[in-house]
Amino acid sequence: MIQAPPPPPPVVAAPAPEMSVGTEAELRVAAALTDARVQVDSRFRGATIVLYGAVFNPTDDPTDVVVVVRGPDAPVRLVKKTRNLGVWLNSRPVLFEGAPGFYMTASTRPLADIAGFGQLRRLGVGVDHLRINAPEESRTVTRYGVRDVVISRLGEDYLDWRRAVIRLREAAQLYDTDPEGVSFVDRGLFRAQVELPATAPTGEYHAEVWLFREGAPAGVSNLTLTVEKVGFEREVYELAHRRPWIYGVLCVLLAGGMGYLASRVFRRS
Amino acid sequence: MEIYLPIAEVSVNWPLLVLLGALVGFVSGLFGIGGGFLMAPVLIFMGIPPTVAVASQASHVVASSTSGVIRYSGQGAVDFRMGGIMAVGGAIGAIGGVELFRYLRLLGQADLVVALSYLIFLGAIGLLMLYESLTEILRRRRGEIAPHKERRRPLWLYGLPWKMRFPKSGLYISAIPPLGLGVVAGVLSAIMGVGGGFILVPVMLYALRMKAGVVVGTSLFQIIITTAITTILQAGRNQTVDIVLSTLLLVGGVVGAQAGALYAGRFRAEELRAVLGLLILFVGIQMGLDLFVRPSDIFLLAPGISDG
Repeated sequence: MIQAPPPPPPVVAAPAPEMSVGTEAELRVAAALTDARVQVDSRFRGATIVLYGAVFNPTDDPTDVVVVVRGPDAPVRLVKKTRNLGVWLNSRPVLFEGAPGFYMTASTRPLADIAGFGQLRRLGVGVDHLRINAPEESRTVTRYGVRDVVISRLGEDYLDWRRAVIRLREAAQLYDTDPEGVSFVDRGLFRAQVELPATAPTGEYHAEVWLFREGAPAGVSNLTLTVEKVGFEREVYELAHRRPWIYGVLCVLLAGGMGYLASRVFRRS
Repeated sequence: MEIYLPIAEVSVNWPLLVLLGALVGFVSGLFGIGGGFLMAPVLIFMGIPPTVAVASQASHVVASSTSGVIRYSGQGAVDFRMGGIMAVGGAIGAIGGVELFRYLRLLGQADLVVALSYLIFLGAIGLLMLYESLTEILRRRRGEIAPHKERRRPLWLYGLPWKMRFPKSGLYISAIPPLGLGVVAGVLSAIMGVGGGFILVPVMLYALRMKAGVVVGTSLFQIIITTAITTILQAGRNQTVDIVLSTLLLVGGVVGAQAGALYAGRFRAEELRAVLGLLILFVGIQMGLDLFVRPSDIFLLAPGISDG
């Protein structure tokens, strides 16, 4: 698995996270992760990331908070099964150039109640609106002698494929929508919880904390989160990818040695 | 009791894996086979990516075969000359097979080919074994004497060049058939993650007519070499060997294999073959069934360029 390039910055030119002194009259949001590093070791069974934040709201207008956590982008390849002569066969692979390896939203209310369709689509908030990279024209790429069809954003079956990616990822708990994931602990102070499954990809994660008022974004705070392998797991993974041949020989020696040892032990007894 | 597998990138219940290794090891010791054909489907069912399952269990086969060969060679029941020639074929087959598997995987057709190979090979071998052992059991029940077996080898075996003497196997034949047999086993080892013993043993026994005593030991010897090469190639080319996964399987496997070998003496050979035939047939049908049942989702994630 390669490290995906960093995801593009959010589309809306969001104001920089206001760490500075804000004026009293300004509506803004600030947030922090309790742990900005998730370490994957042999005991890793997924992780819970807790995020705390504050809404500075000088008025009495009700506001909503939406937390979006996005994992590193990577190309996604899909096949579609079709029935030929009673046998289910795979189609040629279809390639999406990049989709987040993890995507989760947590909000105070269902997203559809917080903002309109257009607004969410523009911001790329919510699994139905998340951006999956696809060019305007369908084309084929050949890698290692395999021709992939790169899916086009304008193709007629684009939506089917897109929905399939989301459905499969949701089944693997890599994409999730939690309409009650953000709860206010106190007036202005909120808490959100993100569950990372054990299959979550490693790399840089980006969290956006959006503040909505009357269906329009009123502020955003950006955070980053690193998921990395550590300790023994990291060494094994690195060895397997940097020195794959030595690693392979090692595996065989271990297996052969184990077999030898067993036959010795059992012969004696 | 969960452990995170660094290459498979999932966490699994480790005592369950050790138990699975022991169970498959027991079966392999009992029947004198590698047992890979049983392991891969269970691992895939547990949620381990098929490519990692197939590649990692190859090293489990290395371990159980090593302990088998040591036992058999102590009894002088390994024809290293024959095994060596088959292993050369196995190496060629494994190299070709790993490349073929890589290509099929990228094409998104690996699961089809795996399912088909399981269905065809296991189905055919299972049926043959079941038929042969059941007729033998029935014959014994009726108290009939087994008809004298045809001891002649197929004639074309003698027409081929590069004749060699294999004193231990009691053969003077061309090197081509064992070489070809090795190639087939090598390809199967890469695609199905199995040693190929279930193909090798019947062919060596019924087509080549090797001395029965050296068949299992020799096939295990060739399996060690073929699966060792497969493991190294899968690691080097596809990075799909998970050392933590294979170690867990090995620990159970070597113990199970020895226990199985101890029990093997308590059953009649044809009864064992009947049970094994049933088991092989069952796994083959189970894997092949996927081709005919409407999938729960007609879309499927294919392995990426990045991890291929």
